[in-house]
Parts: sequence; C-alpha cells; structure tokens
Amino acid sequence: MSNKPEKEQVYARYVASGKTVQHLASWGKRLAEVMNPEGKPEVLDDILVLDASYANFSGIIAASFFAEFGAEVIKVEPPDGDPCRRMTPFGENVKGVGIPFLIEGRNKKYITLDLKNSEKDRKDFARLAEKAAVVIETFGAGEMDSWGIGYRQLSQKNPGMIYIAITPYGQYTEKARQFAHFPDSDITSQAGSGLPAQVGDPINSPEPYNWPLKAGMWAGWYISGLHAALGGSFALIHRQNTGEGQMVDIATMDAYSCMVGFPPTIGYTWETARPRIGVLDFILYPYGCWRCKDGLVVIAAPRDHDFRALLKILGLWKLEDDWRFTPDRIPDVVENAMILYKAIEEKTVLYTADELVNKALRYSAKAARSKWRGGGVPIVMKVNTPPMTLDNRQFAIRKIFQEVEDGTLGKFLINTGFVKMSESPPRVKWVSCDIGKDNNDMRKRYLQE
Amino acid sequence: MEDYFSYTAKLFDPAAVNEKTEILKGIRVLDFSHVIFGPTATRLLAQYGAEVIKLELPYHGDLWRPATYWGKYWKHSNPLWHFVTQNKYFLGLDLKKPEAKEIIYRLAETADVVAENFAAGTAEAWGVGYTQISEINPKIIYLSCSTYGQYGPLRFYPGWDLLAQAASGVLSLTGYPDTDKYYKLPDYLGDYIPGNMGAMAILMALYFRKKTGKGQYIDLAQSEALMRLLWHFTFFNLTGKEIGRTGNSDPTMVPASIFKTRDGKFVALACATEKQFAGLCSAMNREDLLKEKVYTDPFERLKPANAAALTKIAGDWLKSLDVEEITGLANDKGFPAAEVLDDYQICHDPWRRQRGSVILFNDEMYKELVMAGPSAQLSKTPARTKWLARPIGYHNRFVLKKFLDLSEEEISVLEKKRIVGTFDDRPGLKPPIYYNLDEDPIFHYGREGKK
Repeated sequence: MSNKPEKEQVYARYVASGKTVQHLASWGKRLAEVMNPEGKPEVLDDILVLDASYANFSGIIAASFFAEFGAEVIKVEPPDGDPCRRMTPFGENVKGVGIPFLIEGRNKKYITLDLKNSEKDRKDFARLAEKAAVVIETFGAGEMDSWGIGYRQLSQKNPGMIYIAITPYGQYTEKARQFAHFPDSDITSQAGSGLPAQVGDPINSPEPYNWPLKAGMWAGWYISGLHAALGGSFALIHRQNTGEGQMVDIATMDAYSCMVGFPPTIGYTWETARPRIGVLDFILYPYGCWRCKDGLVVIAAPRDHDFRALLKILGLWKLEDDWRFTPDRIPDVVENAMILYKAIEEKTVLYTADELVNKALRYSAKAARSKWRGGGVPIVMKVNTPPMTLDNRQFAIRKIFQEVEDGTLGKFLINTGFVKMSESPPRVKWVSCDIGKDNNDMRKRYLQE
Repeated sequence: MEDYFSYTAKLFDPAAVNEKTEILKGIRVLDFSHVIFGPTATRLLAQYGAEVIKLELPYHGDLWRPATYWGKYWKHSNPLWHFVTQNKYFLGLDLKKPEAKEIIYRLAETADVVAENFAAGTAEAWGVGYTQISEINPKIIYLSCSTYGQYGPLRFYPGWDLLAQAASGVLSLTGYPDTDKYYKLPDYLGDYIPGNMGAMAILMALYFRKKTGKGQYIDLAQSEALMRLLWHFTFFNLTGKEIGRTGNSDPTMVPASIFKTRDGKFVALACATEKQFAGLCSAMNREDLLKEKVYTDPFERLKPANAAALTKIAGDWLKSLDVEEITGLANDKGFPAAEVLDDYQICHDPWRRQRGSVILFNDEMYKELVMAGPSAQLSKTPARTKWLARPIGYHNRFVLKKFLDLSEEEISVLEKKRIVGTFDDRPGLKPPIYYNLDEDPIFHYGREGKK
C-alpha cells in the first residue's frame, strides 16, 4: 500500500475536466464539514408531537421522523407498554425491548396513559393535546372519537392541531366503517397494497417459489410511516402559514400502490395484472443480481451503449448482434431474457465481485475521458449484506452509523442522518425508552403538576 | 353527536378537493431531475400546488419517456410516467449552451427550490450546482439526489435504484433461504422511497427558511435513505447474527406469513399482539395453544423452531378456507389478514376509488387514465392531480413569457439557435396522434395569430 493520497476517479464525462475535478475536490471537502449536524439548529424545535400509536409501527416510525428533525415527541402508551416493544426478529431483545422498538425509540419521551380504559387518563391526554402541534394515533377508525379524544373534540380546543390517524382502511368510506377495528401489520399492508404480487418466480416454477413473496423488510410499515410523516409535514407548512391544523388520514392498504403508482395504471392500461418474472426486470435489462466467484453482484446496463460495454468487459461480444437481444432487449419474451441471464452468469462466476466492479469502473473511467461519446457506463456493484454495509467506507465517512449508549440498554450502533442538510439536519440524540420514564417531567412541563 | 363516518365523509369528500387550499401555491421549483428519484420529490411538491418547472434536453428529453414496460406505449406515451410528472411545467432547454444558462440563472433569482439527480458533480460542472445557484439566490433550497451522496470515496460511482438496493443491504434480504436467488424490490422502490424522503427534507427546509430566512443544501443519497428502513444493522451489532432471507415469513411476529387458500388465492396473515394471537387461536379452534408456555411468551414464540411449528399449524388451517372466509374471520376475531392483491384488483377496487387513493383522471390531452391518488389524505389542504405529462417543451412559451417576460421574437431566436426546443417525432416524446397541438392555447401561450 502506498501512502500517497488516493486520487479520486471520475466516471462521467462532464466532470472529467481538470478544472472541474479541482473544484469538486474542494467542494467535497467542504461538504464533509458543512454536513456535520453537531451544534446545528433543529427545524422542529418549537413543536410538541404526541404519539399515541398502539400495536402499529407506522405511527412510531412517523413520530421518529419528527423526532429526528427536533420535535419534542412524547410516546404515550399503557402501563404495560406498547405491544410493539415485543415485535422483534426471532424474539431477540435487550431487557424486554425488541430491536425495532429500540431503534425507533430515538429522541422520544415516554409516558404512561391508559387511553383504552381510564377516563382520567383520557382527560390528561386531552389536556396534553391542547399543547400539541401533532397527534398521531393508530386505534380503530372512530375509536378515539368514541372516547371523546378524537380529531373533532381535540380540534375544538386546539384548532392548530394536526391529527394523523393510521389504520388499514382509513377514516371514511363504507369499507372503513365495516373494517373500523381491523388490526394492522406489516405483511398485510404489503399484501393489500400490491407488493408481493410482483415478487417471486414465474407461475410455471415449482411451489412455493412461484408464490407471491413479501419484501424481506418492513416495506408496508415503513412506507406507511413515511407517508404519515410526509403528509404531516405538508400539514405543518399549512399550519406555519395560517395557524390552522387539520386531519391527515393514512390507510396502510395504500402503502405500496400509492408509493410507486404502478399497480393501478398497469391494471388499467394492460387490463390485466403483470405476471411474476423472478429475478428479471420489466423495463431495463440487464438489471439485476448475478452470482460471482465469491458472492453476488448487481449489474445494471440498461441503455444500448451500456449493454455493449458490458458485453465487452465480460468477453461476450459475440452476442452483440444476436437477434434475440437487439435492438432493445425488452424482456417481454422471458425465455430470451433468461438465455441472456444465463450467458452473463457463465461469465460472472469466473470472477470475484471486486474484479467485476473494477472491470466496469475502469471501462467507465476510460469512456468518460474518451472523445468517442458512445462508450456507455456498465455498472457493477457488490451486493452488501447489512454487516458489509456497516463496514463500508463511504457510509463510515458520512457517519451513517452512530454509537449510542444508554444506562438501561447498553451500547450499540444505530443508523442516523438519512439525509444530509447543511442548516437543519436530522439527528439521533438518545435512545432510552423505559416505560413511563418521563411521567414526572412531562406532567410538570405540560400539565403544570 | 353526528355519526363518525358521516362526519369524516364530509371532511374528506373527494368531490370537494379542487376547491380547497393548495399549500405550496407560489413556491417555485426548478427541476433538473430525471427518471424517478428526483422527479418523485418534485412531483409531491407539485401535487400540493408548487410550480414545478421540469427541464429537459430538447428533442431527447427524460430517459424514462420512451423506456416503457415491456415496450408498451399508451397513446404514444409511457403510461407510468404520468404519475411521476403530473402538474409539472415542461421546458425544453439545452443546458449546455451559455444562453440557456442565463435563462436558468434568471429563473433561479425567484425560485425557492432546485432539485437535481445527475451523477454527483455534474450540476456543479455545468454551472448550475449549489455553489453557483446559491450565489444568485442565497435563500435557495437545493436538493441533490444521488446513489451514494455528494461527498465520500464512492460519490462518483454511477448508480441507479438497483445499486442503492445492493449497497444498502436491502437486496440481500428478499428471497428463500434455501435458494441462491435474491429478488430486488420491484418497480424501482429504491427510487420512490428516497424520492419521498427528498420531498420531506425540502418541506423541513421550507419550514426552517420561514423561521430563519436561511436556505440550505440537501445531500440525499438513495442508499442511505433505504438504510433508514432497516433494523438489521442494530440487530447484527447487538446479537452478532444475521437475519438473512426469511422467505414469506416476517421474523418479528408469528404467525406472519403469506399462505395459499382453498380457492387457490393467497392471503397474508399476521399476529402482532397477544390479543391478535388469541383471536387466531379462537378462530382455529385451537385455544389449547394458549396454554403452552412456548406459545404464550411472545419472545419464546418467536424463536425459529416454535415460529415454524405455529406457521405450519396456521398454514394447514388456512388451506381449508377461502380467502373471503379468512378476512371475515379476521375482522370478527381481531387479527390482521389481507388478500394478496395484484395490479388488476387494485385498479378496480371500489374502496380505493371511493377513498381517492386510486383515481380515474380525465386529462385535456390524454383523456381518461387510472392512476394512484395521494398517499396521505389531508382534510383541508389535499394533494391533487391537475394535468398529466406533456410533450417536451410543451410549456416553453408559458414559462418563458409568464415567468421571464420574454417576447415572442426573443423566443423565436432561442428556438432557431436550438437553445429552446421541443420534441422529435418519436413515441414517448410527442403528443398522442389524435391531439392537435396547433390549437392548444398553452403550447402557443401569448402567440398572436394562433388559435
């Protein structure tokens, strides 16, 4: 290893000129300093958020986003705790706290109020809500209303309040009434909004591999939580402009279809549903995951010149004028796409991931500096598992993982800073989440007790 | 008191949406972004009333215009592109020419937001990056979207949604543990989710600017945005173990899986709480399970062997029922269950049409198209669709005359020099064949002698 500072390589022609490279080098250095959140103001430091969500992580996740941007977020749960504390992979937990709850516990205060059963606690909640800019809840549609603490009661005393309700089927329509008390989960949100129908092997493959397949993460709950936080952020802008609050209604059965918009439009224009096509892609090709000598790589070479470049670096140039893959490699004949898939695989297994990545990068760097504009950018990247991502240099320099320490929970790594902002960045400040830990403080501060 | 659901029906009446306030009215966005990631962030702003000016290279345009699903066009357009580009103003301008840059700089003087998702450094190289635009307008909010971010050793690596899925760890999570197949998240979810986060970051910056008068620079890396959705990192850090691929089962609750039903359909079923589990046991007539210690303790129940046994019990029971029976029982007994729905079912679901989360939109140019409605329903300031995608340069005159006061003569000169331009006669770029652009008042905005 040499001690010389690494020269930054560029892969796009527009940034390849000497002057630009110099400018970008100093800009990159400046950014690394500017994007450090320490000591920066927090954008939502003037608002209170009450999170009364129960047994539904979408509410907790929505509250986390507000907490990361600096709001005072009070998580309200019954004395025996939110059941979300016990939802955790394989039952792994730290002193009774499951891992998803532990990471979404960021920057929150915890108080106990039994909204389901105690009239007195509901009154306290209503008094807290007088001070709140945002209330989040995930009970049955109309349930809080029947307890006298729904949007229409709370907004009378606090017309500036934003009330975010999250349920499977929303707060209005006949179906919402019929399924008002239907409980929520991640997998039902995924299934009911159209995601698993698009994942899995083609219908003529063996069972169960040809079944619809869920995403291996909480795609339903995280998308619903994001939709809630985003809807709430729009409402905060209106509140800042006019002082007026409103109700925000999230249906978790909308999660995937409203995020990507593909299912309703395909259903309409094709007048049928898409089939599942395994590891292929509907639009771009090659665009997917391949085995290599020491693991997995993804390859993206969707444009014609990217594809030709890929054939060159893999030694597959003989396929260049094969009628099955010209002119556009649209994989509507799945068999042909699979032939190409296998041809590429025969080559990728000969090399390690690093070798393939370097082949592609070397090609792109050369093409970027060439006068010939048809060079293409074949992209190859190693598939990271989460532990590999934890070790990645890029994310270390960008401080995506932060070590946090808590008296009860001990020391661990948590992901933070999902977006870098120069003036008012999000951040993680603490993670402690003992049940009722802030009862006294919060009552003193907001209920003058 | 009034019945709750008649109260909410009025509060969220889809027929009243267009009369309600547009929150971002008066906010102007210069949108240099293309394909899905950046355009999704600006689309959300446009749905709430922002004036989003979408810049495209004349005669070529956005990469996603002609890249359609299985090569199928709809009225010479990419049907999926309408969702991402709704309510935007389409300006065809060749950014590499100096006169074009002058136009951009003038637009930047009064703009509130700029968004771009070129390869990192490209906007700076072209003179329209944050360092240049913020000199013209220090209060600008500037969003740069990329796969790895604007600083750090990987910043110049090329990337798409797929690369972000690979770098973040997401791609290693979907599939069956006994196979060597890894499925990516479908439909470029690795662009859409970060795009939504980009919109949120812009809103936070707007909120901050109103309080302090300060603009800012936002560096959004899609791989990092995806990492925010995973508890897998902390799990590994604390236990030293990997979750890996778990097939159709959710390892955080049990049973929680996708099952095949008697009528050959698929149902997702989950028990997230003790109460839901008791409800399922009652529905299965298996209350005996509630007496076994391995199933009563929630952490114990989640251990792989116990979870597998319970999943098998539930699966065997579900095989004997039709999907309608299962969701009915779920509603009665209080546990989550939902049919696995496909494109066609979602498109034609009456609940979504009533709710407005799937809409039949009637556009001036393209007529009827079914598309997704807002992901969040806001009672006072709802999102809305006003128009669909337009050919490249459709709003050239509208933008240049209305926002910059350019004259017809000045625009003609720019057109002759090919600084401003429209579309080639290619699908994806041009209007539908039946549409007469000559008679379109917006395309010919402020032009004497044209109808």
